Amino acid sequence: MNYIILIFFIFIIYSLASALYYMMKDGDGSKRMVKALTIRVAISITLFVFILISFWMGWIKPAGVA
Amino acid sequence: MQSRLDYFIPGGSYWPILGSVGMAALLGGFASSLHGNIVGTSAMILGFGIIIFMVFGWIGQVINESESGIYNLQVDKSFRMGMGWFIFSEVMFFAAFFGALFYARQLSVPWLGGEGNNQFTGEVLWPEFKAVWPLINVPLPDNFSIPKGIIHAWEIPAINTLLLLTSGATLTWAHWALMNKNRNQLITGLIATIVLGITFLGFQIFEYMEAYNHLDLKLTSGIYGSTFFMLTGFHGLHVTLGTIMLIAILMRSIRGHFNTDRHFGFEAVAWYWHFVDVVWLGLFIVVYWL
Repeated sequence: MNYIILIFFIFIIYSLASALYYMMKDGDGSKRMVKALTIRVAISITLFVFILISFWMGWIKPAGVA
Repeated sequence: MQSRLDYFIPGGSYWPILGSVGMAALLGGFASSLHGNIVGTSAMILGFGIIIFMVFGWIGQVINESESGIYNLQVDKSFRMGMGWFIFSEVMFFAAFFGALFYARQLSVPWLGGEGNNQFTGEVLWPEFKAVWPLINVPLPDNFSIPKGIIHAWEIPAINTLLLLTSGATLTWAHWALMNKNRNQLITGLIATIVLGITFLGFQIFEYMEAYNHLDLKLTSGIYGSTFFMLTGFHGLHVTLGTIMLIAILMRSIRGHFNTDRHFGFEAVAWYWHFVDVVWLGLFIVVYWL
């Protein structure tokens, strides 16, 4: 299950990094940056919902006091 | 805007030296305040005040220069380059702290427990030591503030995750408004993002008070407390700075400084906020949850 979170993270970082690239490369008129950031937010929210479901279903055990 | 051929040379500025003095006072003061030095605490507060003054003063000066039309394409390019290096330093900053957590949690604590070729460390040095994370039962407990518990992920941290993710969405909503020339939506989106950011900080202060007053989870609680406060504390500092920058961007938006073809200030701050948001998601997973 941890690998699924890792895959989500790779996509989040990729979209964030591509937004950075578009910000550096494009002029202010381009919409590529805002599109990449929209994807970033959408994947992040999906990941949080996935974590929430994992918690409820008991797929991943959270840290506890030893 | 002039052509790229006209080279812009800024005048002398006292903001960098003032910022350096503020930073030295903040960090030096913070270090000595950890040792219970009251002068250090005062220096830390003074340093923080100087930095806030510097940030507003410097940003204000740059805004005035920008609005007076003396900047050109070359300056625009140098702002983008500057932002790129700033982001690089921020990524390295958080990589070091996440790295410290990884090293402690995955390597050094298991080694102390006898993993790898360290069997005798476990058997001879501290036979009762259990290599588990969160490391609450530290060897030589008299030297540390032993926590009664930890901050659980599905309480305040989960609310804070929801707050920051929502703030990322409201900021993107504002970003689209800027691109689509919808001024009201831009301002509403920015205000919502700022309110969510401040609420996040309020919850984090509450969480820290809970940790210190009720759980005895402190910076002096050993490696768990140290990494916990180091990572979440520096992240909180970034949310504070991001909120200040968003307030500056809101003021500029109200004054009509941005349009669809000229809004690098907005883009830079927006990216920074998204970055801080992603860092928090990482913290929520590896510090609070797993």
